[in-house]
Amino acid sequence: MRRKHRRLAVVATVALAASVALTGCGRDSGGGGEQARPVGEGRASGDITVWAMGAEGEKLADFAKEFSTENPDAKVSVTAVPWDAAHQKIASAIAAKQTPDVSMIGTTWQGEFARTGALDPTPDIVKKDDFFPGAWDTTLVDNTSYGVPWYVETRLIYYRKDLAAQAGFPDAPKSWDELKAMARGMKEKAGATWGLNLQPGKTGSWQSVLPFAWSNGATVATQDALTFDNPEFTEALAYYQSFFTDGLSPTDLPEGSLEPGFVKGEIGAFISGPWHVGILNEQGGAGFADRYAVAPMPMRKSSTSFIGGSNLAVFSDAENRDGGWKFVQWLSRPEVQVKWYDAVKDLPAVQSAWDDPKLSGDPFLATFGRQLDNAKAPPAIPTWEQIAAAFDIEVEKLCKSNTDPAATAKAIQEKAGAIGTGS
Amino acid sequence: MASAPTATAPARPTGATAPDRPAGAVRRRQRLRRALTGWAFSTPFAVLFLVFMAVPVVVSLVMSFTDLRSTDLRNPLAVNFVGLDNYARLFGDDLFLRSSVNTLVFVAVGVPLTIVLALAAAVALNSGLVRFRALFRVGFYLPVVTSIVAIAVVWRFLLDPEVGLVNNLLRLVGVDGPSWLFDPKLALPSLIVMAAWRNLGFLMVIFLAGLQTVPAELYEAATLDGATRWQQFRRLTLPLLRPTLLFGGVVTGIGYLQLFEEPFVMTQGGPLSSTLSVSYHIYNQFGFGNYGYAAAGSYVLFVAIVGLSLVQFRLLGSRD
Repeated sequence: MRRKHRRLAVVATVALAASVALTGCGRDSGGGGEQARPVGEGRASGDITVWAMGAEGEKLADFAKEFSTENPDAKVSVTAVPWDAAHQKIASAIAAKQTPDVSMIGTTWQGEFARTGALDPTPDIVKKDDFFPGAWDTTLVDNTSYGVPWYVETRLIYYRKDLAAQAGFPDAPKSWDELKAMARGMKEKAGATWGLNLQPGKTGSWQSVLPFAWSNGATVATQDALTFDNPEFTEALAYYQSFFTDGLSPTDLPEGSLEPGFVKGEIGAFISGPWHVGILNEQGGAGFADRYAVAPMPMRKSSTSFIGGSNLAVFSDAENRDGGWKFVQWLSRPEVQVKWYDAVKDLPAVQSAWDDPKLSGDPFLATFGRQLDNAKAPPAIPTWEQIAAAFDIEVEKLCKSNTDPAATAKAIQEKAGAIGTGS
Repeated sequence: MASAPTATAPARPTGATAPDRPAGAVRRRQRLRRALTGWAFSTPFAVLFLVFMAVPVVVSLVMSFTDLRSTDLRNPLAVNFVGLDNYARLFGDDLFLRSSVNTLVFVAVGVPLTIVLALAAAVALNSGLVRFRALFRVGFYLPVVTSIVAIAVVWRFLLDPEVGLVNNLLRLVGVDGPSWLFDPKLALPSLIVMAAWRNLGFLMVIFLAGLQTVPAELYEAATLDGATRWQQFRRLTLPLLRPTLLFGGVVTGIGYLQLFEEPFVMTQGGPLSSTLSVSYHIYNQFGFGNYGYAAAGSYVLFVAIVGLSLVQFRLLGSRD
């Protein structure tokens, strides 16, 4: 028996290796420069299969019923996918050509999946100018769009108004120097343990660092170049690091202690996205909403924040491609975006949706809306997640073992250069 | 196809053979039927084994010699054969080297620690000195059947620098405890202790079973000869337990070389990559879509596991 198996294994290996070797004379670049096909006129029809993650996956099925009232011949079937499993599930579906018609795509996955050639270029029934430019950029791979921004988020400075006043900043800090001085004042005059919480490395810390680099005028990554080793980026790293070396930011804040620390006044400020408003109001109890505020990223050459969120893409193997795009277009209508905000609190990616008083009337949200006009995302390159992981590791060294910022910039450049842009 | 009763099975005396047919033809037909029966029973297993075990193993080995990435999924034939490039790259990858060192430290400290603790627990429970044996047995075994996620929550609480039980106890005796999981020097040792605690129960049960196979007369004889308890343990228990120890060592060694869950749920490989393990690194590479590279890492780990097991067989295996 053993010998038989071995022979079979050899045959299989040879067959596989041969097929790989014979045909493997050059990587098919796939994706990029494709022409979008038009979408048929009229109402949508047929079954439209959609994959969605997280809270969106739970709520979308109910929400889509309204689409079916407008398009009686169309039925939307939503499959809820957990975020943890989503990347693998989509990758497997692409390999097996068993994709749904539409799926939510994490903004940093856009490049990877578009490169497989499995995503359909965005047709012109969706208008680029309707969206926040930073959000639209996340759909672009080699200047071709492969999806539509669905919802967005961006980062602001959350600060305790009472502590800021004692520190001498009754209004929000407006520049790098003011942010630093406020953090120092909160610690030294207002009795906070930490002036400003910043991520000391770990997953996603690049999202905290890049806004400072962008605000300082650095261009660190484009579709075809990775340029982390430049003076503007190094200066931003030095500024970021100084909060740790000056003892204004904690290097090892245990998980889950940020919000209680902020409520107790032990942490004076932190940088985060819109989801923290709800968490703070719940943990702080009645009246706490009056004791803190949000402010745009501090000005240097610009006040640029990070834009995140999620996109919607239609697959080129979709059975109901036209129906899929019609559903995506419907979700991108301003009034539908406002309704979707009502349902799950996702911030609209469509700019005109923000004119609705539900959003523009809320002081917290209005600030997020203004910051969205000046927010950037990394380019949609297939290797971004891997570059970001290397970035996170170097940031951790910068914050915890006091590495020289110039050396950090160089190390990130070397790692990122070795990984490449995947093209 | 292995154990199925094929044509070589001993011929049973056959019952009624039709008198008008020559006996040879009947026997041949019967042999054929038996052979077919054998194949019928073993084919489902063989097919499942091929599809779910043999083929994936072979494919992943082939994959490790290619530059397959997730972006090639729709067009796997566009992948290039790169020979040993992935393997060469592994040894220039400082995260892979770092994770290898971490994993080796984990094995070198964790395996002996777990075995000694489990053996001590097993001997104590077996000796009759301990009361409420059933209670202790269950107590030691409980971590084995508890989900690692629940364990992580409890251990993170225990090791929390501010409110954790460990540091609160240290504070009672006037020591300012460190932040166990956030200190690059202490995170890996903390995980080793946690893993030893978690795996102790399983080994203890195995050792207990081994201890109970040692005949009581041997101890009686030894006692009559004036051997102390320690001498009995050294000269009697340990040698007789050698096969059990070998099994325990190999199983624990494999488990610790494949270390993944503890760093994944407790530290995400940090701080400063101090708890990144080889498996975790491979997992990340699969996540980044570097399938060929990750497959190469898996085979390096596989070779390390075979190597460690061979060493253990050499050291503890039977010397008859």
